[in-house]
Amino acid sequence: MSKHLKVALVDDDIPNTEVLRDFLIRNGYSHVDKYHDGESFLESLDRFDERAVVLDFDLSGGGELNGLEVLEAIKERSPSTHVIFFSGQDSLEVAVESLKNGADDYIVKSNAAFALVKTSLDKVYDLQVLRTSEKRSQRISLLLAIGWVSTLAVVAYFLAGR
Amino acid sequence: MEIIERLSAGDPEKKKYYIRLFLDTLEPELVNLKGADVAAHQEPIRAILHKLKSQVQTIGAREAHALMAEQEQRIKEGGRIEQEELDHTCQALSDLIENLQELLK
Repeated sequence: MSKHLKVALVDDDIPNTEVLRDFLIRNGYSHVDKYHDGESFLESLDRFDERAVVLDFDLSGGGELNGLEVLEAIKERSPSTHVIFFSGQDSLEVAVESLKNGADDYIVKSNAAFALVKTSLDKVYDLQVLRTSEKRSQRISLLLAIGWVSTLAVVAYFLAGR
Repeated sequence: MEIIERLSAGDPEKKKYYIRLFLDTLEPELVNLKGADVAAHQEPIRAILHKLKSQVQTIGAREAHALMAEQEQRIKEGGRIEQEELDHTCQALSDLIENLQELLK
């Protein structure tokens, strides 16, 4: 089943990013962008960007910014964007710092890492689906309320006319 | 190699494509690693080991991955690696590259 969640992979590791992208596509994520440095990703970032971002910490092979700096910039420009930190650094300090700065998850690159990224994205997707259905039911409730008020107003108008 | 096998799903051309993708990074980085000066500041060596570590892991070379991870960690913690250890890592990487090149034939 195709999942309507756009994903951005930000990692300077070119072959692993390519493999992860193919893995996610095979698992239902049809729209996966790749960026090999934080700067080019940030250029593409919109306000209220709906993509989930899988972000590496050490981006030194690509640009000047590291993952934490990119995370900070994402949260400044588009606070609702979901960010999954995906790092080769098995460092408690980096993990705590990323979660404190708004990352949704921290995954250490390991044999099981691709599957863990997918699981984390699935959670973001489920949350997005839930929020969309909540918004829809709020809209329906609002429309029903407007309908009732209008009906009552019409009834009141006719009653007043008598 | 498991993930590559799974993604290529029996398509030999797709498998070769992934292998070439990894070789494109591993080969030049092996040259950089061989040319690294262990007597100097070791941060450039750490950066190469960090970069290669994840790729070697995806390919499934567990021993080479463990070796690189341990050496990267040691340098990160302020320690050093000796020329002999670097040569050992280069040899492991060289063997891995050879195996991958064999798979392309």
